[in-house]
Amino acid sequence: MSSINQIPVIEAKKGNPLARVFDELVRFCRSRSLFILHYCTGCGAIELPPAMTSRFDMERLGIQPMVSPRQADILLITGYVSIKTLKRVILTYEQMGSPKYVIGICSCTVNGGMYWQSYATAKKLDEYMPVDLYIAGCMPRPEAVIAGLQQLMDSIHAGKANSWEDYYRNYDYYLGNQQKLFGDNWQTPTDVIAEAKHYNLLSKGTLGVHTRLLEQHQQPLEALEMRLGHNLKEPTE
Amino acid sequence: MRPENYEAQRQPPSNEYELNFGPNHPGIEGNYALKVKLHGDVVLEAKADGGYLHRGFEKLMEQRLWIQNIALVPRICVPDPSPMELCYSMAVEQLCGLKVPKRARWIRVMQLELSRIAAHLFTFGGHAATTGMYSTMYWGVADRDLLLDLFEEFTGGRVYSIYNIPGGVRRELPDGFLQRVTETLDYIESRLADYDNLFFKNQVFVKRAKGVGVMSREQALAWGVTGPNLRATGLAFDVRRDDPYLVYDQLDFDIPTEENGDAWARTLVRRHELMQSIRILRQVVEALPDIHGPIRAPIPNPLAWNVPAGETYTRVESSKGELCYYVVSDGGPKPYRVHVRGPSSMHAVQVLEKLSVGSRIEDIAQTMFSLDACPPEVDR
Repeated sequence: MSSINQIPVIEAKKGNPLARVFDELVRFCRSRSLFILHYCTGCGAIELPPAMTSRFDMERLGIQPMVSPRQADILLITGYVSIKTLKRVILTYEQMGSPKYVIGICSCTVNGGMYWQSYATAKKLDEYMPVDLYIAGCMPRPEAVIAGLQQLMDSIHAGKANSWEDYYRNYDYYLGNQQKLFGDNWQTPTDVIAEAKHYNLLSKGTLGVHTRLLEQHQQPLEALEMRLGHNLKEPTE
Repeated sequence: MRPENYEAQRQPPSNEYELNFGPNHPGIEGNYALKVKLHGDVVLEAKADGGYLHRGFEKLMEQRLWIQNIALVPRICVPDPSPMELCYSMAVEQLCGLKVPKRARWIRVMQLELSRIAAHLFTFGGHAATTGMYSTMYWGVADRDLLLDLFEEFTGGRVYSIYNIPGGVRRELPDGFLQRVTETLDYIESRLADYDNLFFKNQVFVKRAKGVGVMSREQALAWGVTGPNLRATGLAFDVRRDDPYLVYDQLDFDIPTEENGDAWARTLVRRHELMQSIRILRQVVEALPDIHGPIRAPIPNPLAWNVPAGETYTRVESSKGELCYYVVSDGGPKPYRVHVRGPSSMHAVQVLEKLSVGSRIEDIAQTMFSLDACPPEVDR
């Protein structure tokens, strides 16, 4: 599980005159090719097809939907997240490669919105994962979605969209809230602490009461056994 | 990513295996999942795994005032929200004995039919995208946006209009609005030939959809199927004609049916229904200028409104099927019980589970989109 520790981290050489130019170039390229994960969590997803297709055309900004979380950059939380969905959202978020950005669309992600008294939804999204940007409204128009995405592009270019680092720095806080909702034996397949060490982001808030609780309940993950072709070996009649 | 009721099983010595289809999958409509058991790529068993969109509507509505629920109900079905608010308003009107003015009833019909066209165009787009025809999706969504512009103009909201209230509608139509409705209808009607060539008569689609997800009329009736899916099996049942509400008994329209009961037939029924909706709207546009009068009946102070005790059951024809509300009042300021009978909870759970069996895994998307299930309404 800690095999990620064995991968050597290449330290950036300080004082290289080209480093700043290179960083600027990387940030520029990053902000100009963003892939949104194709996961519609709630009703705000109905304004995404108009934003993506002919009329408002998100693709002119270099933004496209992507089906797999490993290749996606942006996790759009479109509206309310029920507790069952939130589990999948957290698993998906942890699977995405860094740097990753989270946008909360609709008022439901801010404070619960219409469903503030519902027993089934999680009210504040930023208790469970760091959020880069909120687009408020019920539901926000496609123009608002595109304006929000442009703002995200600007902040990526300026190097300010760094909320994904916050997840590693304050993992104990987020894990605590997740455990409060899902129970003490909540566990995800991703080893976040090892990743935090890998990114040199291990800080005071990463480890704490809740990560110790996780260690107590943690069960080793078994690799999925794929046994295909058993009857291929048998002679066919 | 495993559902919580998932237990990894040691696979039997064959090619049978289990697969989680969704919720993060482009072949599934919305936030919904299926657990499928496959042999090769043939589905042996499918189990619906919903609940990702559960918000507890029926409980929430018991905790809010009668008038506040108007803002809540359209959120039950996102692509086609207008029948939701209408059906709830009709239930409250029946409990109070409110008589809706004539002009309000005609405006309501217009709103319902505009919403039906928008929902059907959106479904065509989504359905075409699952067969890889993205142009139809781009067209469908862009043409639907014209209708959303109309909604924005006369109700103030793009998607959720919250236009019906018990007793009538919220505001008068803007000047020159009927002219713009006619222009939009002309445009959509002129586009239908292009849609036919690109999608409905396209051999890519016809060969994918024909013979997929076949259900007989007896099966459809036994499983509680309603709406276009029932009419695709040859039974011409439509609440608008067989149990008329509003002014549908004064309007002239046909009930399109198809005989085959497969995915192709269901899509064709929707396409013909689109034409009928345009026909209804033309009659409404013609009739509305001569109908004068108030647009809503006087209602008591909505913040202190005690609806008389009683129970009622209302039904309307939404674009997905028959939508019903069962509302009980105990004479208080809030509903005692509201039950929503949505069409999609039958279509996406029991029907989809049964129709998927025996088909190939890539046809699940065909079956689901042709049933036009709406996951937020399944989970509620």
